[in-house]
This record gives sequence, structure tokens and C-alpha cells, in this order.
Amino acid sequence: MTAPELLVRDVTLRFGGLYALDDVSLTVEPGSLHALIGPNGAGKSSCFNVISGLYRANEGSVTFGEHDLSHTRPHRLARLGIGRSFQNAALSPHSTVLDNVMLGRFALTHGGFLSCGLRLPWTRREERKHAERAAEICAFLGIGAELHQPVGSLPYGIVKRVDLARALAVEPSLLLLDEPAAGTNAAETAELASTIHDIRDELGISILLVEHDMGLVMGIADRVTVLDFGRVIADGTPAEVQADPEVIRAYLGSENAEAG
Amino acid sequence: MSDIATKTPPEAPERAPSPKPRRDALWWVRKALWLAVLLLALALPLYLEAEWLKAGQYMMVGAVGAIGLTLLTGQAGQLSLAHAFFLLAGGTAYTVLAGPTGDPELVGFGLDPLLALLGAIAICALLGLAFAPVAGRLRGIYLGVASLALVFLGLYFGQAAENLTGGTSTGRPPAEFSLFGFPFSNEGDLEILGVPIRATERVWYLFLALTVIAFLLARGAVGGRVGRAWRAVRDNEPSAAVMGVSVWRAKAGAFAVSSAYAGLAGVMTVLWFDLLKPDESEFGTYGINVSIAYLAMIIIGGLGSVPGALVGALLVNGLPQVLALYSTELGWSTGTGEHAFTPILISSFVYGAAIILVVLFEPGGLAAIGRRIAGRLSGKQRERKGT
Repeated sequence: MTAPELLVRDVTLRFGGLYALDDVSLTVEPGSLHALIGPNGAGKSSCFNVISGLYRANEGSVTFGEHDLSHTRPHRLARLGIGRSFQNAALSPHSTVLDNVMLGRFALTHGGFLSCGLRLPWTRREERKHAERAAEICAFLGIGAELHQPVGSLPYGIVKRVDLARALAVEPSLLLLDEPAAGTNAAETAELASTIHDIRDELGISILLVEHDMGLVMGIADRVTVLDFGRVIADGTPAEVQADPEVIRAYLGSENAEAG
Repeated sequence: MSDIATKTPPEAPERAPSPKPRRDALWWVRKALWLAVLLLALALPLYLEAEWLKAGQYMMVGAVGAIGLTLLTGQAGQLSLAHAFFLLAGGTAYTVLAGPTGDPELVGFGLDPLLALLGAIAICALLGLAFAPVAGRLRGIYLGVASLALVFLGLYFGQAAENLTGGTSTGRPPAEFSLFGFPFSNEGDLEILGVPIRATERVWYLFLALTVIAFLLARGAVGGRVGRAWRAVRDNEPSAAVMGVSVWRAKAGAFAVSSAYAGLAGVMTVLWFDLLKPDESEFGTYGINVSIAYLAMIIIGGLGSVPGALVGALLVNGLPQVLALYSTELGWSTGTGEHAFTPILISSFVYGAAIILVVLFEPGGLAAIGRRIAGRLSGKQRERKGT
């Protein structure tokens, strides 16, 4: 499966007079693991929300292959092969793991109130087929044993994996991960890093990753884009970015500010 | 799972997890219980007096309406107080569609009652859809208040349009229901085990069939793709959208389905009451107290739970009926008038208290209590198997 290229070009996003994103451009090459980093409030999540259609950019464009995402409504994105995980997981706590992951199959399945209500044979067959695939994805992520547990009863590290499973259930060619390691402990972060790497290698999809955890990013990313105050201040391989004086200043500056 | 090196590749999962829930003993117990309830409901007309059957019919009216509301409010997270409006709309639509033609004062289309019933459901679904643009813009209590406006509009139109509803003073009797020529009246001699099956018994079976259909459809939808989309929209709209759910369509669909259920409950109300009367008095009517009673049913039953809505309806719609029957039987002098201690007043206190208890101690309602008991039982079972 070859993924189309994601092209973010000259995107500006304003909230009133505040520039959340200022002329941001980045390219996610097919099959690459691209990280988007930056201090708190740098515009990482805004950038994600523009890509996934939850915010509309004031200027610039986002294209995925031949599709112009800047004019696509958010619920169309899943059909184009874009999956997304959320910083706060954003799952239904009372529903089971399987039910949550099956939501990712929504765009791939059919049927309205009557065909679900009547349990028509083809609806049930489709449901069964997709539930099997969802269970397979859960097994791949190591949460196969929790399929019938309500998400609200599970530890946070598992919940983050359920969110990831749901994003993968879309069968994406581009996966957007919003801080997959947020709130997880060091061991869970290490596992997650290897899982993300596996996803890229085994499923051959491109991944755009927003992350705070520098260790995770530098270990697995092919390319890193650094944002600060809504602007791109560096773009390159992890080694190049780490040596960039602008990046060091942005991070140390923000950490000093946080400490004070 | 703690070791990265042992991570399983997708081709060979360490254990193939089954997406199907286990069919353990508890599953069979549950099936058997449902079957027993159904058999009981089928047998009751052979034993019960007509007035008790009437009380049971009113519970089934409530059940259909409450299932519709729990889909909308519990599953899709859209608070609605407009249920009484859709009941009135359904009752009116049935009465008009099935009403006799040629009456100089009342509009009637003389349709077959079954067609009129389906037509009433369709009209209510469309009315629900028409309200969807409002529902899409408001949420929570604001949506509840906006939907409340519909109840007052409905009563106003119901009173103004006397050529449709018959007005508040007299009301309008609905056409008697019949199914492919079989009348739901005292006509014809029909007996089961020596018990004559007359209008009340026939309508009981009609209502039972409608309730079972309404119940099964709702269960199927909740367990399928539609219910999943509703819950996703309820819990987090952005994530629902990113997963491919059109938030607007999911909300509009939930409103249409819920209104269709309310419409059916409205048709059942006029058949039960044998009168369409757009006012606010105690039974068989369409004021705000009816909307609140439906809300009470689904809160007591547990928001979003279809069986919970069923039980909630038994309590909220059943209690005043049963109390009224007992009060005559036991010779309570309940009296009438403004300060009378009527059954409906007592039951209002009872279900008011029930709501407070639910909200304080078990926000998941009866459904959560049921789940907890089931969880205990299956836990014990596993323990026994494990040791």
C-alpha cells in the first residue's frame, strides 16, 4: 500500500488577532514517520486540527494526494484513508473496547436504523466480518484480551492503545497521532514507541506524530518539524534538528518560563 | 506485553480473540427470562379483568415512547422535552388519516388503519427531522428548553385546529384499529381457552406486538453501527467526526427515530383512550407533564438502556393506573378536585422520589443495578469454575 503525500502549504490560522499558525508548511513523505514537536502552545494541536478538518485555515492549503483537505468536511477524511488518535483518547467510557474500535469501521460499513434494527442478514454478516478485523487490530496492539471490557474500567496505558486501535481500524494510509505518549509512564512510552514503529513498518503507512516526549520522537522519527509560536523554526532529520540552536533556545526558553 | 521483543506480529496473534461475547449460563438465563416475560404477557389477557388489561396497555404505550426517548437522550445525548408534542402529532395524524371522509366539520382521509398508523409514524419522523436544524445548534439544557417550546406549540395548534383534533371540549374519537379486515373491537366471536377475546384483549395483543417490534428494532440499532455513531456523538463530537460519522446526520437521525417512536406511542395513546384530546389533564394527553413522565421513565430505567426504558415505563405509567384500581378495590375515598389525594398525585411523589434516589445513588438507573447483579453472578460463576 503506497500512501499519498500529505502537503501542508503556507497555512495560517488566526483566532482573532492571535496567530495560532503562521505560514506553516510541511510535507509528510509516503511511508515516513514524521514528528511535529514544539513547546506548549506552539500550535501543534492546531496544526493537527487543521489537517483533520476540525479547524479551517485562514490561508494556505492542505492536500493529501489529489484531495484538497482544506475544503473537505471532517467526516469525509476517514473515507480518504486518514486515521487519527486523540491526545485525551476521546473514547466512549461505557462502551466496550470492541465497540469503540468498531467505530473506526464506520466509514467502511453500511446500514441505517432499519437495517441495523431488523438485523438483516447482510448487515450482520458485514458486522461480523468487521468485528473480526477489529479484534485482529486489537490483538496486534496487545489489547486482545480486553475486547469486552468497558473502556472506563481500563488503565490509561491500555486506553491510549484502544484509541490507537480505533485510528487503525479506519484502515488509514496516513495516521495522525496526537501525543500518543501523553500521560503514560516510561515503560508504556517505550512500548508505544516500538508499536508505532511496527505500525509504520508492517502496515506501510505514513505517520504524522505530535509529541512532547523527545526521547520517543528522536528514537523513531524519520523527519522532525519544530514549531514555536505558530512558526516552523526547524525541519530536518532528528540529528539535524537536535543540533539546531533555534530549537535549543525554544525548548530551554520554554522550560525556564515554566520553571518560573 | 511487558517485553517489546515478544510483541506479536499481525499475522500470528498470540491468541485469536473472539469478537463474539461469551454465551455462558448467564446468557441463557437472560434469554429464558425474556421468553418467560413474553409468555406471561401473552397469557395475561386470559386471566386479567379488562380494567387491569387497560392499565397494562398504558404501560406498553409508555414503553414504546420511552424506548424512543432513551435512544435520543440516552444513546445520542440529545435532551428532549418535546416527546409530548410528537405523541400529539402521532395521535392526530392517525385520527385524521384514518378518520371518515365526508364529515363537514372534521377532516378525514378514510385510510386503512394500518396505513394510517404507518403514515402517522412517517409524519412524526419527518417532524423530528424538521426540528433537526435546531437540535444541531443547541446542546444540553438549552436543547431541552427549545424542545419544550414544541409542546406548547403542539397544544396551541391542537386546540386551534378543531377540524383536525376535534378541539379541547369534545376531542375526537379515533377510527377503530383493524388489521387486514380483522377488527380490534367486540365484533365477531373469538375465544381462546374459553375466554372471549374482545376489544380490550385484542388491543392488548396489538400493543404487545408493537412493543416487541419497537423493542427489538431499538436493541438491534443500539448494538449496531447506528447506535455506535450515536454514542460517539454523545461522548465526543470531534472524535466521532474524525471516525467518519457525520455529526449532523447522526443527531438528525436520532431525532427522526425518536419522534417516530413517540408518534407510534401517540397512536397507541388515542387507541387506548379511545379519544384524541389535545389538552393537559391527567391521562391520555399531551402536556408538559407527559414529557416529564417520559424523561422520568428513562432516568429511572437508566439513560440509554432499552430494557431500562421498558421497566421505567412499567413504573411511571403503571403506578397511577394500578393505584387507581386498588383505590376503588380497597374503597379509598380519594375524592376529586384540586386538593384530592389522587393516584396520579401519589405516583408523582413516588417517581419523583425515585428520580432523586437514582440521581443520588445510581446515576446509571435500574439498568446499572441489573448490570451489577449480572456481573456479580457471572463473577461467582467464574470463581466456581476457576477453583
